[in-house]
Amino acid sequence: MFNFRKPRHQLSQDHAGELRLSDLKPGEKGIILEIGGSEQFRIRLLEMGLTKGIEVSLDKYAPLMDPMELIVRGYHLSLREVDAHKIAVERSE
Amino acid sequence: MTFNIAIAGNPNCGKTTIFNTLTGSRQHVGNWPGVTVERKAGHYNYSDNSYDVIDLPGTYSLSAFSVEETIARQYLVDDNADVVVNVVDASNLDRNLFLTTQLIELGRPMVIALNMMDMAEEKGLEIDIETLATLLGAPVVAVVGRTGEGIPELKEKILRVATAISEKSRNININYPRDIEVEIQNILTKFGPRESASPKSRWMAVKLLESDQMARDHARTLPEGEAILKQVNASVHRLELLFKDTSRAVITQARYGFIKGALMECVKENLKQFNDYSRQIDRILTNRWLGLPLFGLLMWLMFKITYDLGSIPMDWIDAGVVGLMDLMSRIIPESMFASLVVDGMIGGVGAIAVFLPNIFILFFIIAILEDSGYMARVAFIMDRVMHNIGLHGKAFIPMVMGFGCNVPAIMGTRILESRRDRILTVLINPFMSCSARLPVYVLVAGAFFPDHAATVIFSMYVLGIVAAIATGKLFSKTILKGMSKPFVLELPPYQRPTGRSLLLHTWERGYLFIQKMGSVILVGSILVWALGYFPRDVTLDHDYKRDARNINFKYDDQHIQLGERYLKSIERSQSEYHSEMIPYAESSDFLRLKRQHDSLRVLLRDQESEELFAVRQAELGEITSKKWIGRLGMTIEPLIAPLGFSWREGVALITGFVAKEIVVSTYGVLFGVGEDVDEANQGVIQGLRTSGMTPLVALSFLVFTLLYTPCLATVAAIKRETGTWAYTIFSVVYSVALAYSLAFAVGYFGRMFQWLT
Repeated sequence: MFNFRKPRHQLSQDHAGELRLSDLKPGEKGIILEIGGSEQFRIRLLEMGLTKGIEVSLDKYAPLMDPMELIVRGYHLSLREVDAHKIAVERSE
Repeated sequence: MTFNIAIAGNPNCGKTTIFNTLTGSRQHVGNWPGVTVERKAGHYNYSDNSYDVIDLPGTYSLSAFSVEETIARQYLVDDNADVVVNVVDASNLDRNLFLTTQLIELGRPMVIALNMMDMAEEKGLEIDIETLATLLGAPVVAVVGRTGEGIPELKEKILRVATAISEKSRNININYPRDIEVEIQNILTKFGPRESASPKSRWMAVKLLESDQMARDHARTLPEGEAILKQVNASVHRLELLFKDTSRAVITQARYGFIKGALMECVKENLKQFNDYSRQIDRILTNRWLGLPLFGLLMWLMFKITYDLGSIPMDWIDAGVVGLMDLMSRIIPESMFASLVVDGMIGGVGAIAVFLPNIFILFFIIAILEDSGYMARVAFIMDRVMHNIGLHGKAFIPMVMGFGCNVPAIMGTRILESRRDRILTVLINPFMSCSARLPVYVLVAGAFFPDHAATVIFSMYVLGIVAAIATGKLFSKTILKGMSKPFVLELPPYQRPTGRSLLLHTWERGYLFIQKMGSVILVGSILVWALGYFPRDVTLDHDYKRDARNINFKYDDQHIQLGERYLKSIERSQSEYHSEMIPYAESSDFLRLKRQHDSLRVLLRDQESEELFAVRQAELGEITSKKWIGRLGMTIEPLIAPLGFSWREGVALITGFVAKEIVVSTYGVLFGVGEDVDEANQGVIQGLRTSGMTPLVALSFLVFTLLYTPCLATVAAIKRETGTWAYTIFSVVYSVALAYSLAFAVGYFGRMFQWLT
C-alpha cells in the first residue's frame, strides 16, 4: 500500500508537431503548456516558478551552444537543451 | 534567555550577508552531521537576551530532493528554532515566497526579512509591507543586507516574536483550491488527538497529499498510520483523476496561485526601463564569442595572481622556517630530540606552511568569483564540456584549482549541489597534476630527457587530464550512475562583493586548511623522519672506509708518477733549450708543459673526488637501506620490480605518499647529498643516472608519480569531503592501481618496441 504510483499523466515522447522550449530562438518568448520528464525534474521546475501559463523568454545560448539562458518571472535561469525539450510551449508575443 | 534562530531562504537571496551582519565575526563553520554541507552557526546579543543563529542551506523549497533541502527541512520540522527568519529577495518576490508558503505551513514563529529593497525599487516594484505582513501572518522587515540598513529593526522583531510580546505570528493558512482543501480536511480528520493539536498538522496533511516520502515514513510510525495512509492514497487518487496531473504538481501550482493572489494585493508594478547592469555585464562575459576566451583569461589570471603574489610571502615563510630550524638546532643540543624537532616537525610542517599564501590568495579569488555571481556563469559556460563526463558545469572550478593544489580543490567541490557530483569531482581531482608534482618531473625529466624535458613535463599534465576525464566517464557509467541531477541553475544578478564577506569566506576555508592539514602533515612528517632515523646503529657489510683509503692511495701514487714524469719532461725540454734572450722559466716551451701538467692534476683530482663520491653514496645507500625506510623499500621491491623500479623508487614513492615534494628530498637522502636539495641538484641527477635506471623506467616512474594518491593531506581532504572512509580508501586504491597499470603498460610497450632502453 505504500507504493508510489507512477505519474498518471505524463507527456508521451512522440510530440512531433508540438512546439518545445528548445525550438525557440534567442529573443523569442513562449508560454509554458506542459512539463514532461521525471517527477523530480517537473517538480523542481515548478518550484522554480515554471508553472503552466507562465511566459518564458529565451535569452541566449552558452558559448558552446548548450545550455540556454531563460528569463522567467524576472530572473535568469539556465537549462540544458535536452531538458528544455521536455517543456511544451506556445509561442507568444 | 537564549533563543535559537534559524535563517532560511533561497540561494542568492542575500541570506548569508544578513547572517554575517547579524552575528559579526562570532561565527563557527562546521559540517552538518554525516554530510558535507557547510553548517554556519553564529551568535549575537540583543537587549539582555542572547541568540544562537543557524544559517540553513539556501533552498528553493523543502521538498527534500537534495541534501540541503533535507537538512533545512529536518532542522525546521524538529522544532529546533524558536524563530525562523525567512530572508526574501524583494526584487524576485514570487519565486522567493514559494519557500515562504512552506515555512508558514510549518507553523514556527517567523519573521520575514525583505532583502534587496533597493533593487526592487529600481525595478519599479512598490511593496506594501503592512499588507504583505497581514497576508503572510508574520512581521515583515525591510532590510538591505549589504549596508546593514534595517538590521536593528530586524533584531527588535525577532525579540518580540521570540518572547511573544506583541507580534506572535498568527497562524494563517495557505488557501488551496476547494478540491484540494476538501482532501486536506479528509486527511486531517484521520489524525489522532496529538497530531491534530500540533501546529504542524496542516503541513503534515499537505505533505502527505503531495506523496512526500518523508511525510509518509513519519505517518507510518503513528498509531493511526494505517488509516491515515489509506485516506491519503484515496485523496491522492481523486486529485490526480480530477486534475490529470500528479498531486504534487497540482499542489506546487496551487502554492504559486496563492502567491499570485497575495502579490496582487500588496505589490504595485510600475515597471520602468531600469538599468539592468547585470544583463549588460553578461552581454560580454557570457557572449557567444567572448565568453570562452574571457573565462580562460580569468582562469589564467587566477593562477598568475595566486603564484606570483603568493611567491613573495612564500619566500619570507621559507626564510622564516630555515631561520627557525637554524635557531632550534643551536638551542637544542645535538640529540634525537633535536633531529625530531628540527628535521621532523619544523622541516615537515614548514614545507606545507610555505604554501599557505598561495592557498589563501586562491580562496580569496574564489570568494570573489562566488560572491560576485560569476561562478554560476562558469557553470553556464563550461557545462557542455563537463556534461560530457557526467558532471555539472560548476565542477570545472575545482578541476582548475587542482593544478595548484588538490587540497583546496577538493574542499572547493562544496560549491556543487549534488552529492553524487561532489563525490565524482573529488574522485577525479587527484589526477589533476598539482604544483607539488612539478619538482619531481623537473628532476627526473632533467636527468633522463635533458633535451625534451619540457615535452615530457607537459605530457604529464595532459596525461593527468586524460586520466581525470576517462575516470569521470568510467565512474559516471558505473558506480555513480543514475544519480545525476538535471541542470537547473539560477544565474543571479552580479553583485559587488563586500570586503567583510570575502575575508570571512577566505578565513573560514583557510583556517580549516591550517587546522586539518597541519595535523596530518605533522604526523606524516614525524613518521617519515622516524623511518629514516631509526634504527640508530646499523652495521655495514662493506668497509667503505677502506675503499676510500684505497682510492686515496691509488691517486696519491698517480700524483707521484705524474710529478716524476713532469720533472723528466722539463729536464729534457730544458736541455734542448738554447735561446739566450728569454730565461727558460719564462719560455713558451716551459709554460706549455706546466699548463699540461696542471690540467692533468685537476683531472686526477676530479676523478678522485668522483670515485670518493661514489663510495660515499654507496655507503649512504647501504645505511639508508638498513634504516626502516630502506627495509620498507626492500620489502616492496618484489612488488614494484615488474615496473623496473628498484627499492629506491619504492622508498621515494612511499615517502611521496606524505607529500609529492618529498620524493625529491628522499632521493637527496638516498644519494647522500642531504635532504636540502632542489630539483636542479647535480648530485641527485648523477645519482639517478648511475643507479641503473633507464629512461624508460624513468618515464614509468613519472607516470606512477603523476597518478597515484597525491599526498596525505589530499587523503584527509577526500575523507572530509566525501564523509566516508569507503570512498577515501577506494580513491587511494583506484589511483594506485591506475598508476601501477599505466606505469607497467609504459614499460611493457616500451620494451616491446624498444623505446628509450
